[in-house]
Formats: sequence, C-alpha cells, structure tokens
Amino acid sequence: MTPQKFSPGRTGILDDKVGDLVIEDSGRFRVHSDIYVNQEIFGLEMTRIFESTWVYVAHESMIPNPGDYCTATIGRQPVIVSRDDDGQIHVLFNRCAHRGSVVCREERGHASTFRCPYHGWMYRNDGSLIGAAQRSGYPEDFGEWGLRLAKVPRVQSYRGLVFASVADDGESLMERLAGVRWYIDAWCDRSPQGEVTVPAGAHRYEYPGNWKMQMENGVDGYHGNYVHESFAHILERSGERNATDITRARNRVGSRNFAKGLHHGDGLLEREDGMLGTYDTRSVPEYREQIAEAYGRERMEEILTQRNIFIFPNLYLFESHIRVIRPVAVDKTYVEVYPTTLVGAGAEFNKARLREHQRFFGPASFGQPDDIEIFVCAQTGVNVDAMPWMELSRGMAREYVNELGETVSHSTDENPQRAMYREWRKWMTSEEGLR
Amino acid sequence: MTSTKQTWQERAELQLAAQEVLYREARLLDERRFDEWLDLFTDDGVYSLPITLSDDPREPALIRDSKAGMEERVFRLTKTLAHAQNPPSRTQHDVTNIEVGDLRDGQLEVFCNQTVHEMRTGDVFHVGLAEPRLLTARCRYLFVPDSGWRIKEKTCLLIDREYPIYNLTFIF
Repeated sequence: MTPQKFSPGRTGILDDKVGDLVIEDSGRFRVHSDIYVNQEIFGLEMTRIFESTWVYVAHESMIPNPGDYCTATIGRQPVIVSRDDDGQIHVLFNRCAHRGSVVCREERGHASTFRCPYHGWMYRNDGSLIGAAQRSGYPEDFGEWGLRLAKVPRVQSYRGLVFASVADDGESLMERLAGVRWYIDAWCDRSPQGEVTVPAGAHRYEYPGNWKMQMENGVDGYHGNYVHESFAHILERSGERNATDITRARNRVGSRNFAKGLHHGDGLLEREDGMLGTYDTRSVPEYREQIAEAYGRERMEEILTQRNIFIFPNLYLFESHIRVIRPVAVDKTYVEVYPTTLVGAGAEFNKARLREHQRFFGPASFGQPDDIEIFVCAQTGVNVDAMPWMELSRGMAREYVNELGETVSHSTDENPQRAMYREWRKWMTSEEGLR
Repeated sequence: MTSTKQTWQERAELQLAAQEVLYREARLLDERRFDEWLDLFTDDGVYSLPITLSDDPREPALIRDSKAGMEERVFRLTKTLAHAQNPPSRTQHDVTNIEVGDLRDGQLEVFCNQTVHEMRTGDVFHVGLAEPRLLTARCRYLFVPDSGWRIKEKTCLLIDREYPIYNLTFIF
C-alpha cells in the first residue's frame, strides 16, 4: 500500500460527547462521520469495544491437532491461539514477559514451545514459562514471580467458532450469543454432519477505509442493485439470471426477504431466494436429500434459507464463508474471507461451491471488490463537514419487533445497522466499556 | 525431447519465440486490447493466481479461470459498470528472467518474472486513486508451439498471494 492520502482526520473528542455521535429521534437514525475519520474515536473503539466484548479469534479447524497454533489480534493486541498437548485451546498474548518482544512470528504452525528471539526465554504452548536463559542472574524466588505468556482471561468456543474476551468478567459467551445462536446452528447445519471447516488458504484484502464500512455492508440489502450491477449483467450473459429479475426481486415488498436487527448489535439479512445467483445449494437434489435425511424436511427449509449473519463487532457468517474484520487504523482495515467446507456434503459439491464463491468473493472476483470500492469512495466523502451525518433511517416506519425481540423489516432496510450502532454507543459510553 | 538435449541455438530460438508472445501479451493487456489477449490462449487454456501451492480442491485461489472464466472477466472489464474498475486501472507489465524449460508432448514450459505497475486513474485527491502500486509474481507458462504459440497455462505466483491485497480486478 502507498501512504494514506489524508493524514488522520479530525482529532479531539470529548469523552462525554461520544454518545452524541449516534442520534435517534422521531423516525430518523443518524451517525456522525467523525466515527470514520477520528483517530481518538478509533482508539476508544479498540479499548471499549474490541478489548471489552467477546470477539472472534479463530476457527477450531485452523488448529485441529495438539501443538497447532494460529495468530490473531484482539483490538490492537497480538495473540496466539494455541492448542496445547492435551487438546485444550488457549489464547495467549504474544508478548515475552521479559522485554516485550513477540514470541511467535508466523501466522500458523505447529510448536510445543515458543522461544523469544531476544534473550531466548522459552514458553510452553499453554503459555507457562519453561525458563529464562542464564537463570543464575535471577534470585531464587524467580519462579514465583508469575512470569508467563499472559492469558486472555476468557476463551470459549461455540460450534467451532473460538471467541475471546480481554475483560476479566461479564456475561458468558452463551449469554452473549443467546440471540444469534439459532442462526449459527442453522449455518453449521448446512453440513449434514453439523461440522464446518476452513482450508489453509484464505482471501484477504485490505482497504484504505474505516472498519465499520465493512461492518455495515455485509447485511445491507439495499446496495445490491447498484453496487453489484456488474455481477447481475455477468449472470445475465451466462444465462443464469435475468438482470431485471434480480433488481425486481430485491425491490419486491412482501417477499420473504428480511433484514433483522438482533440483540447485542448482531444482525442478519435473510433471503428465501438467494438472489445473488451464486451457486444455489438448494437446487442440488442430492444435497437437499442429505440435509433432509439428517435434520428432517421442515428443518431443511430453515437451514437452507440464505443468510448473511453479523456477530458484533468483527465476525460475519456468510453462506459460503467466514469473514473476519480486522481494524488496523482509523482509515485502514484488513478483512479475511475463509471459504468453508461443509463436512459430509461431498468433495464435488464443496468444489462447485468454492468455484462459485470465488466468482463473487476475493480481491480478483466479480463482486466483493465493488463493495470495497464503495467503502473507499465513502472514506473520501466523509471528510466533508458541511453534511456530517450518515442517514441510517431506512425502514424505521415499517419495521416491527417480533416475539424474540428482533427488529424485522424489508431486506433493503437499515434496521441491522441501527442495531449495530445502538450496541456501538452502549459500549463506547458504558461503565463496562470504560474499565 | 527435453531441453537438455537441445543445442543452444535451438534453445535460443524457443526462448525468442516465447519472449515474443510474452511481450505481446504484456502490451495487449497494457493497451486494454482484452479480446486479442483472449485469443492468445488455447480453448482449454487456464489462467490462475493460486494462494497456496496445494492441489487440494478445497483450497481457494485468487483466480482460477478457464477460457470461459477469462471471457467473463473480460466482459466484466469492458461491458459492465464494475465500480472497482471505474475509473479503470492503468497497467504496465514488465517481463523479465525468461527461461525456457522442457518441451514435452508438444508443450513448452517457460518461466519468467512479471512486475505489474498498476494505478487507478481519477481524482488525485481521492483515497485509493492515482496511487501507483507494484505487484510482482513468478510465472510459469505452458505454450503450444505448434498451435501458433498459444498459451495453454498461465500461472502467476504473487509474492503476497496469501496477504491482504487491495484490488486485483485488472488482469495481472
């Protein structure tokens, strides 16, 4: 990447004003553009959101065997996700207890120990200190100082998704995921064995823009007709879908295509007819049979409904992949796209699924780069002070709250984004976030 | 017949012929003559930018295009409103380190390095535009000399293939 064009946007935000950046009043919902360009807000987001909430760090299939590890970040802090010799998963801060060097510099691998490159201190893959080099320079009670690779206090998995929290206490992962668990289950059950894995390779992209652009976009059902016009024409050329039909289907009111805002800032887009035109798994009879046999016909329909699921603040579960948002700076973001394999669904089926996935997703694909381009367009635009508010009001007059407490509206509405920013405001202003 | 049994004159002739196609390919891409670029490939031609070196079909690639896929890619670039290419990329393909490998079953293996200087045109003040970028790869080609030196395989191993990439929507 070449250097950024704008040196960091605005700075200076009074702590007690952070909550005012999200305004909700009679029929309108707005967020202030400062949240995309202000360095200090980015810093607060890292501590109050990423280093306070449960965040996704890895998928268990990335470290299947004892001794496997991969690295991740929690906010700005580097961590190692490691499976120890007993198979237990630890999330360790990647920092030598001695003088601060990282002890692991690869992104994935297999190691029973980590050795600091600076003075050779050695740690087991559960983080415990094996020993300091030239131990005689330290007193007798050195072993009692409690030196080790610090553990991220809370680590829990749900159906292969590993989450961690830097906060010492707070709600459990199960409590945190209560509102979105049903959807995670349906997503995992797309495998007839209920097991999803990720391969060694992933698509990764970076863009010179704020992380929340990606957060908002994955459950935005409004942009498809405009941002992905190119893909609609590709599908028309190949004879798969008529471009006008795609536009109409996205616009249709009264269809079973919903946007949902969930508890905890989660949200989803739920579309009965997976309108992208990417490989439609529901149309493969053998696969349908497998799912029906494994879970029953009624459950099959629930499982095979196309959903983009967002889990605040950094995880997306799409039909074909896991997407992880990694904020780097206020105007720089990495995104990782891990295509999934549905265990038990057959090699040919998974291969065809991956082929279609790659047509739309990835830095050289025919879909996702157009989204990224829009994030970047916005990153220039939000520097305009004259109209600093982002309008996230679409659908406020027609959304409703269902029996589960979810806000439900037309798939083109902005209720999922409103859920995100209510949660954003909660953490940015709460005592819990102020720890 | 393998390269080890060729005279250096024979090898020089093969290298010159391959180099001519490689240079031509570079120029066609840089001049945005994409339809002519497609014609460089055999009907069963493959254009790929892998991420891992594994043959595992579960592994994703940045690009794994059959001829039909390449045609779709060119269609997107020339006939649709692709935001990631609006404004379009300006490219300059530099081809170096051309090395002729084995000639087997009528197919000649050729290695080279390619550096692509890429820049989106447009308003210099805008984030992401008018910023020159460098992409570089080690490439392997399979030519079919008897079919007018058409390309059967083009595989480019980007130096940063598994790392975050901003925009690869032009043709490498």
